[in-house]
Amino acid sequence: MTTAREAGLISCHFCHNLNRMPVIEETVEHDKEQEMLCYVCNSVIHSRIPSSLNKTWALVIAALILYIPANTQAIMTVQLWGDGRPDTIMSGVLSLLHGGMWPLALLIFLASVFVPVAKLATLIYLLLSIKFRSHWRPKERTQLYRITEFIGRWSMIDIFVIGILVALVQFGNTATVTPGIGALSFAAVVICTMVAAHSFDPRLMWDAIEESAHE
Amino acid sequence: MRDDNGVLDYRSARACHECDLLQQIPELKHGDAAHCIRCGATLKRFHKNSLDTSLAFAITGLILFLVANLFPLVSLEALGVSQHGNLISATWALFDARMPFLGVLMLFTTILFPLFSLLGTIYVLTSIRMSHLPPIIAPLFRFLRSTEAWGMLEIFLLALIVASVKLMDITDVHIGISLYAFVLLIVTLTILSLTLNPDDVWDPLKKKEP
Repeated sequence: MTTAREAGLISCHFCHNLNRMPVIEETVEHDKEQEMLCYVCNSVIHSRIPSSLNKTWALVIAALILYIPANTQAIMTVQLWGDGRPDTIMSGVLSLLHGGMWPLALLIFLASVFVPVAKLATLIYLLLSIKFRSHWRPKERTQLYRITEFIGRWSMIDIFVIGILVALVQFGNTATVTPGIGALSFAAVVICTMVAAHSFDPRLMWDAIEESAHE
Repeated sequence: MRDDNGVLDYRSARACHECDLLQQIPELKHGDAAHCIRCGATLKRFHKNSLDTSLAFAITGLILFLVANLFPLVSLEALGVSQHGNLISATWALFDARMPFLGVLMLFTTILFPLFSLLGTIYVLTSIRMSHLPPIIAPLFRFLRSTEAWGMLEIFLLALIVASVKLMDITDVHIGISLYAFVLLIVTLTILSLTLNPDDVWDPLKKKEP
């Protein structure tokens, strides 16, 4: 079992071409982060995503902070006959449940509550597993990462529902829907977690195992 | 996965993008996919005529996208007033409600990225098909690949269904003509993402190099 890094190769992220790693003359070029380009598609290549763990941690923490206003502030206010009713994410789910629309309630709960929380928890777990150089089930951890990266964008559904409701329900004084600051925060949470998952490099989980095998 | 001598041929070998393991990709038959032997990530897929099929679906997608934008997707009727909504109305509504950030988000995820992705894909695939390889192809296709996750039309469709069901309780919701085009567009885009094989674009670029 040889990895590209051990063989002195860098795989291009886009075209998967294997580029030979340049021999770094230790004293001269070390300070200057020299960018290497794939010779086929000219994109910037790197053996591992540069400062992947720092970027991912920063975005995860930002998402955690934004998650508070996303849940406490109103995501939208429905005004019927002058009566304003601010809705948070959870109150929206509960009112769907009371209205007997449990499949919708379940869908919104999964997309707006379960997925973001599970995604943040998973990313934190994966980051910690790298920090403590875990050897436990790397294949399953990689699969977990793959699912997390794939599913995250679907959390955007609630934002789109708000956008559509705001556009459609505009009947002057009778009925209007206005978006709230919670929606803004929630959108920012989803964007942060999407970028966080993207900056996480799953190859680091395997590196920990290979490095201890060589010791 | 290796040949009898246990030596890798670096020209056709791949490093797994999720665990970095070097491995030889075996010859693939129509419909096959190669998975990483260590972590199971999909490394390569192969479909016969994937280039032509993808091009056909991309052009179909572009036509459907235009039709989906011409007419209302849904209409509401309440108190004798009717309100029409199409793809871009959510974007405008969010700008009007003084939520420019959400407006920009809607604009990019439901209009700009999907439109640019279809136009770009058609351009790249047509160029490859005609063996004409201008230098813009590599950066353009790279951009299309990295913004793929941000085109969110299928999520918009699900959101539209959720919003309509919510509103049906209160008022009459009518299906607009463009909704049919929009549903077909989602089907087309899904098939396109399954048939489009990035290697069809990268392999000709590799051959061009010495």
